[in-house]
Amino acid sequence: MKAKAVWLVAILLLGVIASGCIGGEKETATQTAGKVQLTGDFTKDVVAIGKVLEQNGISEVKFSAWGSGDPNSVMRVYGIVEAARRINKIWEENGIKVKIVITDTHYVASFQDAYKEYLSKQPLGQAGDFFVNSYAFLPTLADEGYILDITDYANAYKSVIDDFYPSLIEASKYKGRLYGLPQDTEARPLYVRKDVAAKIGLDVNTLPEKVKSGEFTWSDVYYWAKKAKESGAAEWGLIHRKGSAHPDLIQFIFAFGGKLYDPNTGKLVVDVPAVYKWLYVEWKFAQDGLLPKDIMSWDWAKQIHPTIVEGKTLFDIGGTWYWTEWQTKQYYHGRGLKPEEVKEWFAYTLFPAGEKGDKPVTLSQPFIWMINSKAGAQNPKYDELKDVYHMLAFLMIIKASDPDINAIHSVISAHLPVRKEAAKLIKDEKWLNDLKNLNLDLDPTVKDNIKNIVQATVNPINAQFLADVSYMLEYTHLAPAHPKYPALADIFKEAVDKVLRGEMTPEDAVNYIIQKVNADPELKENVEIQGEIPKNWKFPQ
Amino acid sequence: MNKINKEKFTALSFFLSPMLLMVVLFYLIPLIMTVYISFTQMRNWNVERYLKDFVGLYNYERLFYMFQHDPTFKAVLLTTIVFVGITLIINVFGGLALALATFFISEKPASSFRLLWLLPRMSPIAVYSLVWYYFFHGSEIGTLNSILMKLGVISQPIPWGQTVPWGAWSIIIFVNGLVGVSFGMIVFTSALNQIPRELVIAARVDGASAWEISRKILIPLTKWHFLYVLTWQFLSLLTTYPHIFLLVQWDLVNRDYGTTLALYVFNTAFGRGEQDQGLAAAAAVILSIIGVIGGFVTLKVLQFEKMMKRPRGDF
Repeated sequence: MKAKAVWLVAILLLGVIASGCIGGEKETATQTAGKVQLTGDFTKDVVAIGKVLEQNGISEVKFSAWGSGDPNSVMRVYGIVEAARRINKIWEENGIKVKIVITDTHYVASFQDAYKEYLSKQPLGQAGDFFVNSYAFLPTLADEGYILDITDYANAYKSVIDDFYPSLIEASKYKGRLYGLPQDTEARPLYVRKDVAAKIGLDVNTLPEKVKSGEFTWSDVYYWAKKAKESGAAEWGLIHRKGSAHPDLIQFIFAFGGKLYDPNTGKLVVDVPAVYKWLYVEWKFAQDGLLPKDIMSWDWAKQIHPTIVEGKTLFDIGGTWYWTEWQTKQYYHGRGLKPEEVKEWFAYTLFPAGEKGDKPVTLSQPFIWMINSKAGAQNPKYDELKDVYHMLAFLMIIKASDPDINAIHSVISAHLPVRKEAAKLIKDEKWLNDLKNLNLDLDPTVKDNIKNIVQATVNPINAQFLADVSYMLEYTHLAPAHPKYPALADIFKEAVDKVLRGEMTPEDAVNYIIQKVNADPELKENVEIQGEIPKNWKFPQ
Repeated sequence: MNKINKEKFTALSFFLSPMLLMVVLFYLIPLIMTVYISFTQMRNWNVERYLKDFVGLYNYERLFYMFQHDPTFKAVLLTTIVFVGITLIINVFGGLALALATFFISEKPASSFRLLWLLPRMSPIAVYSLVWYYFFHGSEIGTLNSILMKLGVISQPIPWGQTVPWGAWSIIIFVNGLVGVSFGMIVFTSALNQIPRELVIAARVDGASAWEISRKILIPLTKWHFLYVLTWQFLSLLTTYPHIFLLVQWDLVNRDYGTTLALYVFNTAFGRGEQDQGLAAAAAVILSIIGVIGGFVTLKVLQFEKMMKRPRGDF
């Protein structure tokens, strides 16, 4: 009986394995597709691709766009919809009966979740054809072969590529090859509440310049924060962001002249002196009651933003997108702020230098249009026409980077433009007016989806703000695009939380970080611990 | 093979094959795959690239190295023991108490009462966790703090989840206890309903109180179910993490004393921007081994063999 049972199981197993194999054979591709070479003339290239598709009997090309981010950044997917419409128009004008249809615009709030979803679905061929996400994930996606290397295509479009800010193109590269085009970026200013500043005699008009020159350092931030708190002008001296997802607080490392990455070894760096100074500043602010000890567990919508917009803090380390987020979300006593109020209440500067001799900084996290390495797979004759579909996908992100599409995204989401042409456009009053009235040549779906955001955000004040903060990009730093960086950022976050709560001294917290790094052999291998805790360092100075 | 045997074999195959297929498909193959993947470099779901990238015991070594050197690992272990231990008691005895309580009242109110206890299990995990997030929030926006402050019991909000270790432990035990208690309640309710009514009626006639009926008749007759609920809940508590994950992620509870072993391995393998399936598989194997040992000990302690004795009489 035992033998029979074994047989039974064996037959079953065989059945299961066989069923897995059935249908697994790939169709053999026949090479019938005409060769297309990109020339750099957009219309000509689009027409050539359209003709090849038409010759192959394809009348509809399906693509899907995946994006993520704050509620105002929906152009990350609708930019693709608009690009499709513009290409369709070219085809129509040239009598080509092919149409691009965007089957899915998948937009989620958390960019980390979007990344995880892409990772798990890409191998199965179920991920979006276009994927907008942080540059930080680009190395992993490129390394696994999940996104398209567009270097060769981009060579034909040098004039467009050259219009992007070079640092952003660099962030789109992995091992010297280009894997996407920048979609947006931002800066993270230090906001200063003007009415609170006025009460304690802090001149906000000269402040940006003083910060820029390095004269106003974190010791001065401490001094004024303390004054605001002690005089009763504000409940808090400083509020900052929480979590490790947006690595805002690592600005302290750069502001104290430290580094996070060593390009020579390709390893991450725990710059002990800079990290110690960062944690010390956090500790001091929290100990003196200037910064909430439990800020890392504050609620975004119920605590962090209301505290800032209701004027309960003098300083706030935020992001440029706060500017419009405060207008569209009901953070202020159950309503959003008016653009005039934001302008009247908030001044903004770079993130000040840590101490005299250091430089002010800001931090950016560019988002990149990436193309799935399986882009177009849901269309007919994919194996034959793979290159054609990929070229078309590339031309779509070129189109989605049109200055006006990029400028619309910048204005309505308060992110910074990635192209010089787009930067010019946001200063154009006539264009802004047309955008306000949606008097632009845009796809009706796009208009419908951005209508409310446009109503709430398009305003000369907001455009002026973007123009005003653009200079910050010259001081910007990027967090290292290293696969192990998120793990390190997570450890930093834990250490900050422990220091703020007073569970650890800055020294303990630095040792905790080192211990945590060394606890994981893979992290240890990828992180260099450099320097020592400075002796007799004082804050404030 | 003689004819009778052949017939028996055909019948056996017919009746057993759906179940065997299920066992092979959903238990055996995943088990073999998990063990196999734990010996590979598999990451980022890249099956094509890493499936044959055999690294031997590397993932296990890495995991044990972390267990030894991570400064928070001791807290994680302690949390796991306390969490599983106390929640298990709440789930099993709470379930039993609820089933007994509803046994003695009439069916209609009993059903509504039971339904109420099912709510935590029926609510989506994120929604349910969010309710408790706002309830236990450590500032004045937290419901509990706000009530206590209005009543004048406290003047400053209490950071419940950040009060270590018992504040954090209490919250994760409370939240999971409420979810788990309904499982025991349902099993025990159906078990109690199987007990011949005449036994209870006879006891009542003899003047036995509800407590005596429970102790002398109902509980001894639900021993099997008790064993089942205990073992099942033990294993599920050992491996559960979704609610705790959210509470830790939202910084409601302290990370060190809010993280159980299951959540620790989940975070190590998936939670830090990396998708390390090889490491996760190794961790799953270790958790399974702990589960098997734990399950075995439970069965031994509750004298499972004795209960499995063949019934007396002809068979």
